[in-house]
Amino acid sequence: MQWLTDNFITILDGVAFGLLLFTIAIGLSLILGVLDVLNLAHGALYLAGAYLAVQFFTGRVSIWVFLLALVMASVLGAGAGAGLAFMMRPLAGRGHLDQALLSLGVALVLADLISAVFGNDVHTVSPPGFLSGSPQLAGFTYPVYRLAVILVGLVLALVVYLVVERTRLGALARATVIDAPMVRAMGVDTRPFVAGIFAFGTVLACVGGVLGAPILGAYPGLDQYVLILGLVVVVVGGVDTVRGTLVGALVIGQVEVLGVSLLPRYASFLVFATMVVGLLLRPGNRMRVAAS
Amino acid sequence: MRRINGRVLRAVSAIVAIALLPACGSSFNTGTITSDSVKIGLLIPQSGVYAPLGTDISRGFHLYLDAHGGQLGHRRVALVTADEGAGPDSGVPAGQKLIQQSQVAVAVGVVNSATALGLIQPYNEAKVPLIIANAGANALTGAKRSAYVWRTSFANGDVGASMGAYVASRVDFGQVYLIAPDYAAGHEQIGGFREAFEAAGGKVAGADYPPFGTTSNYQPYLARIQRSGARAVFCFFSGAEAVSFVKQYTEFGLAPTIPLYATGYLTEGSVLRGEGAAALGIQTGLHYSTELDTATNHAFVAAYVARYHAPPTVFSVAAYDAAQVLDRAMAGARTGAQIVAGLGRLGDIDSPRGTWHFSDTHNPVQRYYLREVRDQGGGLVNAILRTLSS
Repeated sequence: MQWLTDNFITILDGVAFGLLLFTIAIGLSLILGVLDVLNLAHGALYLAGAYLAVQFFTGRVSIWVFLLALVMASVLGAGAGAGLAFMMRPLAGRGHLDQALLSLGVALVLADLISAVFGNDVHTVSPPGFLSGSPQLAGFTYPVYRLAVILVGLVLALVVYLVVERTRLGALARATVIDAPMVRAMGVDTRPFVAGIFAFGTVLACVGGVLGAPILGAYPGLDQYVLILGLVVVVVGGVDTVRGTLVGALVIGQVEVLGVSLLPRYASFLVFATMVVGLLLRPGNRMRVAAS
Repeated sequence: MRRINGRVLRAVSAIVAIALLPACGSSFNTGTITSDSVKIGLLIPQSGVYAPLGTDISRGFHLYLDAHGGQLGHRRVALVTADEGAGPDSGVPAGQKLIQQSQVAVAVGVVNSATALGLIQPYNEAKVPLIIANAGANALTGAKRSAYVWRTSFANGDVGASMGAYVASRVDFGQVYLIAPDYAAGHEQIGGFREAFEAAGGKVAGADYPPFGTTSNYQPYLARIQRSGARAVFCFFSGAEAVSFVKQYTEFGLAPTIPLYATGYLTEGSVLRGEGAAALGIQTGLHYSTELDTATNHAFVAAYVARYHAPPTVFSVAAYDAAQVLDRAMAGARTGAQIVAGLGRLGDIDSPRGTWHFSDTHNPVQRYYLREVRDQGGGLVNAILRTLSS
C-alpha cells in the first residue's frame, strides 16, 4: 500500500503515456489488421503533427489556436492517408516487404523535409494556456495537460471501440480482418473504406503528434522512437481487437514510465524485453506476425 | 518544363561554382604560413543537434577576426569552414580533411569530445595546432594531452567541481541527488562535482543517468528524486534536454521544495529563453556570464549584441579567446611548432570571462562564478552572485 502511494504519480503518468501511445498504435493496428498494410510512415506523420504544434504553440496559446492546430493536423493526416492509400494500390498483393519499402521511403522523405524546414534543433513545446499549470492531486503535483491527455485518450478509445464493435462499418472491418475475399464475395465493395480506414489511422497519428508535443517535444529521430513504440504495442496487444491495442498501449506506457522509475539502469531495454515476453506469451500473435 | 530547366541550370551553375572554389584557395601558399597570409580551419557542427553551438562558436571567432581587420598575428586570414556534424563519424574525417586537403596551418573549433579525441593523433602527426573551443573531455588535457592540442573552453570535471563545496555548504549535511545524461560529458561533469562535494563533507542520496538524446519524459526520474528524500539536486543537462528537465522539474512540483543546482549549461544562451520562468532561482556554476561586470566584458557584449542581435554565450567566448590567443601566438611564427611555442609563452589572457592562462597541460586556469537566474526587466539573465574558485 505504501508502495502504491509512493508510485501513484508515476503510475498515473504511465497511463497518460500509454493513452498517447494508443492514439498512434490504434492507427497502425487498424491499417495492419484491416488493410493488411504495414505503414512505416506512421512515425513520420506523428512527427509532422508534433512540428505543427511547434509552429502553432508559441507564446500563450488560446483554446482556439489549440483547436485550430488539431483541425489542421486532421486535414494533414487525412490527406496523407488518402495519398498513401492511393500509392499503395499498385502494390496490392505484392506482400508486406514492398509496402514497407514504399512507406519507409515516404517516411524518410517526409522526415528530411521536416528537418529541412525546421532545422535539426530539438524543440520543446509549452502546453496551451488553459491547460498549463499543475494542480495538487491527493497531495501530489501533476501537470493538468497530462490529465487532459488521459481524458482525450479514454474518450478516443471508447469511440474507436464503439465504432469497431457496434457499427456496420466496424463489423465489415472485422470481417475483412478475418476473411477479406469472403467479404468481397458477398458483394461488399471494400475499396471505399480501405482509403477511409487508412485516413482515420493517419489522422490519429498527426493528431497524436499535436497532443504529444507538450510531453515529448519535437526533434529529428522522434519519428523512429514513436514508430518503434507503436509497433511494439501492436506486437504485444495484437491486431485483432481495439481492447488488445488498448491493453498493449497501457502496458508499454507503464513499462516506459513506472519501469524506468523502478529500474532506471535498464531504461533503454525494458520496452524490448516486454516485447520478447509478449511474443513468448502469445503464440498465436507470434505466428500472425511471422506470417505477415 | 521551363521552370524545371531553370532549376537544373541553377543547380549546374552551383556545382560548377563549388568545383571552382578549391582553385581559388590554391592561390594561397598552402600548409605553411607566408609573411602576409595564413590559412585557418574552423571545424564546427553546421548540422545535427549541436548546430546551435556551432553558430555561437563561429560568431565569437568572426567577432574577434573582423574587429582586427581580418588579420591574426599580422597576417590576412583565409578561413576554411568545415562541418563537424553530430558525431565523430563525420567530425574526425572533416578534421583530417582540413589538414590533408585544405592544408590549414591551424584549426579551431570542435564541439564533440569524441571527435576531439579522434583528432589528437592526426594533428600531432601533421604538427598542426588544434585549438579546441568547446569539447570538454577531461582526457584532452589530461591523460591524452599532447603538444599540438590546446583548449580555450573548459574540462568537464573542473566545471562540475566548481560547485562541490558550495552545494555541500548549502544543504547543511542533507543529501543531494545527482542526475545527468548517460554519456561521457554527463559522467565527467557529475564525477568532478561528486569528488569536490564529498571532499567537502557532502553526501549523495542517489545518482541517475537517463539515456542521452532519447529521453524527453523525466517524470520517472523526478519520482525517484522525491522518493529518495534528497534535500537538493545537482544536475548537468544541455540543449533541449535542459529545457525539458527544468520545465518538468517545475511541472511536477519539485522546484519549491528541492532546490536545483547545476553546471551553467543548464541555463546558458537560447536554452534559458526556452525554459522561461521555470528557470528562475536556479543556481549554476560556470566560467562566464553576460552579467560579468568588467570593462572587457561590457565591450564584448555590446559589440556582440550590436552585430548578432543576441547575447553572447560561454561558447562564443571560448571561440573569441581562441582567435585572441592565436593572434598573439602567431605573431612572427612560421611553423606549427613555433605557434605552439608561442601559445606556451602567452601568460595572462584578458578575456570577457576574466583573466585566465593556459595550464601546463594546455587547459584554461580560470575563475568559476556562482550564477543565479533572475528576471532583470528585459528578460532572464544569469546574475553573478560571487566567485567560486579559480
